[in-house]
Amino acid sequence: MVSRLAAPQGYLSSKPESWYAKRVSERPSQASAFAARVLEQADALYNFARRLTHQASEAEDLVQDTFARAIQARDQFQEGTNLRAWLFRILRNAQLDALRRAQRSPLAKLADEEREAEDDSREFLRGDFEIDRLRRVVVADIENALASLSAEARSVILLDLEGFSELEIASIMSCAAGTVKSRLARARTTLRAKLAEYGK
Amino acid sequence: MTESSCAEHRRRLATSRWSTLPPEARAEVERHLQGCEECRAFAKAERELDAALGRLPRQAAPEALKARLAATLRAEAAPPSVSSRWAKWRDGRKLRLVSATAAVVLAGALSVVFALRPSATERLVDEAVNDHLRVLYATHPIEIESGGIHQVKPWFEGRLDFAPVLDFAGDEEFPLQGGSIGYLLDRKAAVFVFKRRLHVVTLFVFRAEGLPWPYLGNRTLDGVSARLEQSRGFNALLFRQRDLGYALVSDADANSLERLGHKIMAGH
Ligand SMILES: [Zn+2]
Repeated sequence: MVSRLAAPQGYLSSKPESWYAKRVSERPSQASAFAARVLEQADALYNFARRLTHQASEAEDLVQDTFARAIQARDQFQEGTNLRAWLFRILRNAQLDALRRAQRSPLAKLADEEREAEDDSREFLRGDFEIDRLRRVVVADIENALASLSAEARSVILLDLEGFSELEIASIMSCAAGTVKSRLARARTTLRAKLAEYGK
Repeated sequence: MTESSCAEHRRRLATSRWSTLPPEARAEVERHLQGCEECRAFAKAERELDAALGRLPRQAAPEALKARLAATLRAEAAPPSVSSRWAKWRDGRKLRLVSATAAVVLAGALSVVFALRPSATERLVDEAVNDHLRVLYATHPIEIESGGIHQVKPWFEGRLDFAPVLDFAGDEEFPLQGGSIGYLLDRKAAVFVFKRRLHVVTLFVFRAEGLPWPYLGNRTLDGVSARLEQSRGFNALLFRQRDLGYALVSDADANSLERLGHKIMAGH
């Protein structure tokens, strides 16, 4: 069971000299409202991060990095635009930086994706045979198939699944809006081909 | 049907948001599907893929992560300190890297070096107070509500790479509220939350190895060297038993903290 433990009543007023109390009274309500809205996206960001990375700890680091970057870049966020898409974009950039640090070039990954797409494009039409297999895949199959895709292919599928529009996906992935549809179609075709293998 | 128009229709079909597309756009594709068997098969497979992807469970962020995020956001929400907090956060990351490497190479030598520097203790206390604030202001500071120590302790199994030793189960003066997972500097900590009247007392239990540990205790409780520090209006009591470090933090008075420290060391 999870319970809430509220700060004790009168806690702040009984400690007027407290460092934190001072911070609280100085804090512009705008800033905390922004913080609250960012925090609302924690689950969605973590879910995305978890599927992009191999380990839970990596996903946690990524989300924490995202939050730190978001706060630092807060002034760059334009009110009235999509905060969710903005945060996903930051997370994606944070992940690219992490990949670069790990010396796995994202460009190499992109090249992988192109190759995958070429390999699989011939065989995406398998009719009822494929449908039958797709129906039989279990969650673990889907997770494995997703994990076997390039980071780029996986991202575009997940972002689409999150409900982001083409324009939003283009902004998150820093690519031309015109290429999102074809990237997505290629990635999904690759994924289907892999799933059809699992569903054997 | 020309091949290029089939490709364009398939690009439109290849999305989980198909059902949310404007009706006119879908109607156009569906007209094409009536006359194109291959695209019909493609559409069927794409919708089947949606169904498969829909089976993926959504993974919620762990409560401990949310608590840390909330604390980061709240602490950073005051504009004048944003850049310095950011710098501090980055430095913290660097430090973690450095200490991870150093822990391997230098092992014990590290803690001796740190012990000579007065700032090492400050850093530990500072971090413990930060974590205490996270407990106070987190949305869900307690992940396991206390139904007694015998429920709280097993909960940590598998969540930590060590067994947090705590023989004090709470009493009337210091009832145990629950526990959660926290972070102290570079490592995970078992977080036990006690109360003392209206005050929250947070106990962090963590592996002490390689930490900048204050050797020069100014108190001895039950023969254990302990150190009492003040920071930002909070009291912190630090002590070490076997290879575990203990940090008690609260705005409760120092005597109460020492009393609780005594109970924890004595196990009753
Ligand atoms: Zn067609």
